Amino acid sequence: MSKFQSRLITALFCIYIFGFGIAQFLLPDRTFSEQENRYLTQFQAPTLSTLKDGSFMTSFENYIIDQFPLRDKWIQMKAQSERLIGKQENNKVYLGVDGQTLFTQFQSIDASDLQARVEGVNTLADNVSVPVYFSIIPDKTYVWANRLPGNAPNVDDGSTALQAQALCSDKVHWIDLYQTLQGIDVFYRTDHHWSTMGAYQAYQTLAQAMNGACTTLDISPTLVSDGFYGTTWSSSGAGWVRPDEMYTWVPESGLTGSTTVTWYHTSQPEAGKLYDTSYLEKKDKYSMFLGGNQPLAILRNPDAQGGRLLVVRDSYSDSLAPFLSLDYQEVHLYDLRYNRLSLKQYIEEHQIDQVLVLYSVSNFTTDNNLALLKR
Amino acid sequence: MIFSAPYFLFLYLCVVLVLYYIAPLHLRNLVLLIVSLIFYGWGEPVYIIIMFLSIAIDYTHGMLVTRCKAKGNLKGAKLAVASSMFFNLALLFFFKYWDFVARSLQAVGLNFMPILNLELPIGISFYTFQTMSYTIDVYREDARCQRNIINFGTFVTLFPQLIAGPILQYKDLDSQLEYREHTVDKFASGVQRFTVGLAKKVLLANSIGQLWDVYLATPGAQLTTAGAWLGILAFALQLYFDFSGYSDMAIGLGRMLGFEFLENFNYPYLAKSATEFWRRWHISLGSWFREYLYIPLGGNRVSKGRLVFNLLVVWAATGIWHGASWNFLFWGLYYAALIIFERFWFSKVLEKAPNWVGHVYGLFIVLVGWALFAVEDPSALVLYLQAMFGLGGAGLVDSTFFYYLRNYLPILVIAMVAATPLASNLWHKAPQRAKAVALPVLVMAGLLLATAYLVDGTYNPFLYFRF
Repeated sequence: MSKFQSRLITALFCIYIFGFGIAQFLLPDRTFSEQENRYLTQFQAPTLSTLKDGSFMTSFENYIIDQFPLRDKWIQMKAQSERLIGKQENNKVYLGVDGQTLFTQFQSIDASDLQARVEGVNTLADNVSVPVYFSIIPDKTYVWANRLPGNAPNVDDGSTALQAQALCSDKVHWIDLYQTLQGIDVFYRTDHHWSTMGAYQAYQTLAQAMNGACTTLDISPTLVSDGFYGTTWSSSGAGWVRPDEMYTWVPESGLTGSTTVTWYHTSQPEAGKLYDTSYLEKKDKYSMFLGGNQPLAILRNPDAQGGRLLVVRDSYSDSLAPFLSLDYQEVHLYDLRYNRLSLKQYIEEHQIDQVLVLYSVSNFTTDNNLALLKR
Repeated sequence: MIFSAPYFLFLYLCVVLVLYYIAPLHLRNLVLLIVSLIFYGWGEPVYIIIMFLSIAIDYTHGMLVTRCKAKGNLKGAKLAVASSMFFNLALLFFFKYWDFVARSLQAVGLNFMPILNLELPIGISFYTFQTMSYTIDVYREDARCQRNIINFGTFVTLFPQLIAGPILQYKDLDSQLEYREHTVDKFASGVQRFTVGLAKKVLLANSIGQLWDVYLATPGAQLTTAGAWLGILAFALQLYFDFSGYSDMAIGLGRMLGFEFLENFNYPYLAKSATEFWRRWHISLGSWFREYLYIPLGGNRVSKGRLVFNLLVVWAATGIWHGASWNFLFWGLYYAALIIFERFWFSKVLEKAPNWVGHVYGLFIVLVGWALFAVEDPSALVLYLQAMFGLGGAGLVDSTFFYYLRNYLPILVIAMVAATPLASNLWHKAPQRAKAVALPVLVMAGLLLATAYLVDGTYNPFLYFRF
């Protein structure tokens, strides 16, 4: 190495580490990462006790990583580099063969775990006198298996739902959605949720099974956003993937203009909306549907033919509920995670006519609250 | 603290370099001592006490040995060495092996040792060995006694090598503690070496480690033969690039601070026998055991029976040094068996055989060895070995294998080439002018890519927490 080269390398190295080190402290800290869809670690001044137990050090290490200058760019650079080296996944997200579809990996569970979960549904059917319907929403890796990297493990092969169906007691009415969901637009490419079109397909099958008929919409869906980056995109770092389009289909006040929503985002009932369009300005655009997770939401449509339906929900139901409200006078979206009272009691008190337990396969196999179905 | 983290690179190292280079020469060891203690205490502050204890004990013992020798009291000097070894080994035993022994005894119904669940002080196996070598060297008059406790503390705590080696012997560092050259050439070569190490650790080891994690987590009954070999190949590459990457970073950081450390790896996967593998793998550990255990036991100038005994002792110790668990002991004894086998017969066969036979044999025994090393649970290990030798229940190959092969093939090929001297040879043959341009570009590219992987930071294991 010549003297000049040594100087050059020394200078480059020092500029690099000192440059980013100093920039880290000069640049303002961010609280939330839009790209990653999560809150970033903030600086916490050390105290004697956090120094002693080492929790300051851990939080400081995360703080430096989270607030690192140009963090989003580095993450995208890593994702690009993984793609260039031939990887078909990054941070446990599969990159589809079309280069534009992202899949969260699916972990199947063992039979005894699944049995305990289905047991909750069986007990609910024993507890209540109204019919209980049960369905599992297929994972994107099942419906769009043709876009997955070849031989990809950790995908939904449909066996979980088949096993769940077999475990159902006679009192539980199983509805199969695995044959239903089909097509190039039934899921978001960048998110795990189904799209409005996917929810509509599921609605037709569910309504046929529960009600014997379904409403066919003769209006076309309305594009409300073309800039939706879902949570799968957030963990993937795949900056090159285009955003999704979002649609609404059922009009805000239903087809007859009489649909109303009561939601419980605070503990109090409030007049709500099918579509809280303020979320379209934010990262978390899927929460536009009924304003996102909440303990309870009630959709009322006095013009409908059907009675009162209770849906034991996960977030997929939020975009399904507008369709269900076409056929039911009341649709209760009941979230087990935020309700510790007896479900049986709620069903009796509110004179529910039909119950639908509806979970995506990944939520059904991971949610820790299914035992609450038994209460 | 670890090297492969943004807070180390962009904060700690910056502060260290500034403090070190603005300090006048006679205060630089003090600066190093202080920053090294912070480095050590970062993960577990109370364990700084062990560090102080270690410094105090070995400093005093070094002085004792010298004083006894000066007075012609050889017995006293021997006693002092024994006492120093006792303290160091007691420290190591207490923190590292107490629970292991207690559990093993409880398994056979002896309950007199309670399980303490102590967190293993990081790097304890490295620095207790290092400080032990000091008193022994002083006794053997291979090294001078260090009278300056700051200098001695700097030797014990020197952060580049503190947690993952190389294991320095005092005699190699003695004069450097008093005087070392700081030149821009040395610094730049340190930068180069550090970047190589960082890239090895972050870009190769971490990446390939994820493949190993897949196969480690695969239940034994689902493990195919092809999968088991792919998994263990991934582990072999992960461990090599992780460990040699750490050594490279240590050597590089050492040079930035004016030190020269000895090399720790020499393309171990080129070894054509178990004996040769251990001359190429973790060299500083091998030399330590040779110098302070094997040779004192009589080395190889003894009867055949004694030689077998010596080799068994050394390799059992080498094995268990790697972690307080049975599998590490088996792994050590596995090498003892192979080395004895080679020594008494097989090396003569290998000498006559063509080169590739040795390479196949070498890689085969090393990979099987890594299975013993990496799968700690005995029943899982049996299943893993069964799968490797086609005796598992899951068959030869499944579709998952092809997914992982397809995904990891490029990085595996890069890593396998990087485990040979090919790239290094090409570099040395390249025209001077091309190198002049390429070098800064490569260094910057390595730093940039490593930064991207560190900032994403989803997978960055530290493999030496058991050492």
